[in-house]
Amino acid sequence: MSELFYIATFVAVAATMLALTRLHPVHALLYLVVSFLAVAMIFLSLGAPFVAVLEIIIYAGAIIVLFIFVVMMLNLGKDTALQEKRWLQPRVWLIPSLLTLLLLVEMVLLLLRGSKAPMLVSVVAPRNVSLSLYGEYIIAVELAGFLLMAGVVGAAHIGKHTKKNLHRYLQEEEDIKQK
Amino acid sequence: MSEIQFDALLPYTLLAASSMVIILLIAFRLSHTVIQVVGFLLLCLVIAALLKVRSSLPIAILPLFQIDGFALLFTGLIIFCVSIIGLLSYIYFEEREENPKEYYILLFLATLGAAILTISRHFISLFIGVELLSVSLYALIGYLRTRNNAVEAGMKYLVLAALSSAFLLFGMALIYMDAGTMEFAAIAQKISGHPATSPLVIMGAGIMIVAIGFKLALVPFHLWAADVYQGAPTPVTLFIATVSKIGVFAVLVRFALAIDLQHYPQASTVFSILAIASMIVGNVLALRQQNIKRLLAYSSIAHFGYLLVAFLTGGGAGVEAAFFYLLAYSITLLSAFGVVTLLSTRQRDAEDLTTYRGLFRKDPLMAAVLTVALFSLAGIPLTAGFPAKFFVLTAGVRLHLWPPVITLVLTSVIGLYYYLRVISVLFEGSPHLEIKERTLHPFFYTATYATLAALLLLLCLLGVFPGSIVEGIRAYLLI
Repeated sequence: MSELFYIATFVAVAATMLALTRLHPVHALLYLVVSFLAVAMIFLSLGAPFVAVLEIIIYAGAIIVLFIFVVMMLNLGKDTALQEKRWLQPRVWLIPSLLTLLLLVEMVLLLLRGSKAPMLVSVVAPRNVSLSLYGEYIIAVELAGFLLMAGVVGAAHIGKHTKKNLHRYLQEEEDIKQK
Repeated sequence: MSEIQFDALLPYTLLAASSMVIILLIAFRLSHTVIQVVGFLLLCLVIAALLKVRSSLPIAILPLFQIDGFALLFTGLIIFCVSIIGLLSYIYFEEREENPKEYYILLFLATLGAAILTISRHFISLFIGVELLSVSLYALIGYLRTRNNAVEAGMKYLVLAALSSAFLLFGMALIYMDAGTMEFAAIAQKISGHPATSPLVIMGAGIMIVAIGFKLALVPFHLWAADVYQGAPTPVTLFIATVSKIGVFAVLVRFALAIDLQHYPQASTVFSILAIASMIVGNVLALRQQNIKRLLAYSSIAHFGYLLVAFLTGGGAGVEAAFFYLLAYSITLLSAFGVVTLLSTRQRDAEDLTTYRGLFRKDPLMAAVLTVALFSLAGIPLTAGFPAKFFVLTAGVRLHLWPPVITLVLTSVIGLYYYLRVISVLFEGSPHLEIKERTLHPFFYTATYATLAALLLLLCLLGVFPGSIVEGIRAYLLI
């Protein structure tokens, strides 16, 4: 199925390039999702369905969540609806949808036609993955937890808004000082 | 994991737990002082644990870690540096506008990353260690987030470190593709079996050298160093210059020892070119610097060039020389940056060379510490830098590594110029008097002064009696 592999790689590279060159972060995220889907398709065409599904669940899933957060948290207020409408103009979603459609067609083809020749791959079951993650590599998993903690603490610090909640007397003093 | 293995991991579990303890302290809204003191005590506990596990070593925790004397030495050095950096951070951050508490969580996490690197014997632990170190550093560098310099430095480090991580992963993947394993020892076995090294391994190792070179700020991967050193808060600069480089260097040495780098002339050539380039470029760029943080950045590039000469010699003597060099270098930088921290004012760091005019009249102890530190960096006898450079040279000469050794000697002479230039400023003219207001409890100033004085003594001690220290290092390396 090498044609499918090459088409998927083409989609992945194109989507990543587009993601890098978009000026609006939300548009970039859309292309990033397509890029992850394409990578999943690459794995599928190479005969690794489990990794493909993980790619979608972990990466594409995380991006979708991020997307929702951006929409939910950054644009509270009246003009949110207007904003969303502006984000979702056809020229914004047309290319990502086309690329995704291409991937979908590929997947359907792959599933319907299949390949007659047996592939030279050894199947890794989810069970084996979890056994090694929580067996010999348990310390690595725990350290990855610390890595996330570092990321969260750092992001919380950098992104923190300094809010001054002063008592009203102090507030008045502050005002006088400023004058 | 058996009980013995669990016990041997004790220092590292303690280090990991410390960051949690700090989080709890913050949750209970305890003051900066409490966090500082508890942090210091926790580091002392880690040191005690390191001494305690010594008797049961070496222990391998397959497949990820190898805890042996080598790891103890490097982890010990890292913890020592962090405890002093912690002390310096108190004064620095107490005076700044940001809430300093999260700083300590990140500091402990970054230390954990560096400590993990010293015990890695597997690509996965290597990568997680490097990432833990860099992710914490992104936030630490940009910690004073309202200052433009800090944000710029943080951004630069973020982009370049992410790129270097990508290089590291790709290199690992290529080596894995050929060797089919990610353990250092198994890779060594696999590739030494073939008479000709496969192109995949060469490509992978080459790409990994890019990532490692970035972390160690070797030329030509040094472009971030000066800006990040300048923009980061001074204690964080100190952390990057010492702890993060010690960790990465430790894992580099462990990998080189495992695959026996000596047997691959191509790799040796690459590293000697890197060493020569770092020595020349680092020293030349430092010549005209007027900013002391940038000057120390370029000098640290040059110093890692010197260190690579010891690394190139490989084997027991090389590691011994390299560790002694790192020890001397860390103590020197701790005292130099300690002075910079103490002289920094609330508004800006004392980085401009003109701030140091006539420091000797104003504050003789500070001037003495800085002078001895710069002498040590220049490698002048009776300071720690001299025996360190001497051991490196001996190791290099013994293996006839003439090009790097000759460059080392010549560039040391260039180095002398700019170190002496700074020293001459210290003694020059009338002090430009800017009395710094001391807002904090005098205890912390006294403690910092005492620490700096102790570091000064240590520098001289290492310079005058290096023998006993070398004996100690050798005893640990034999474990």
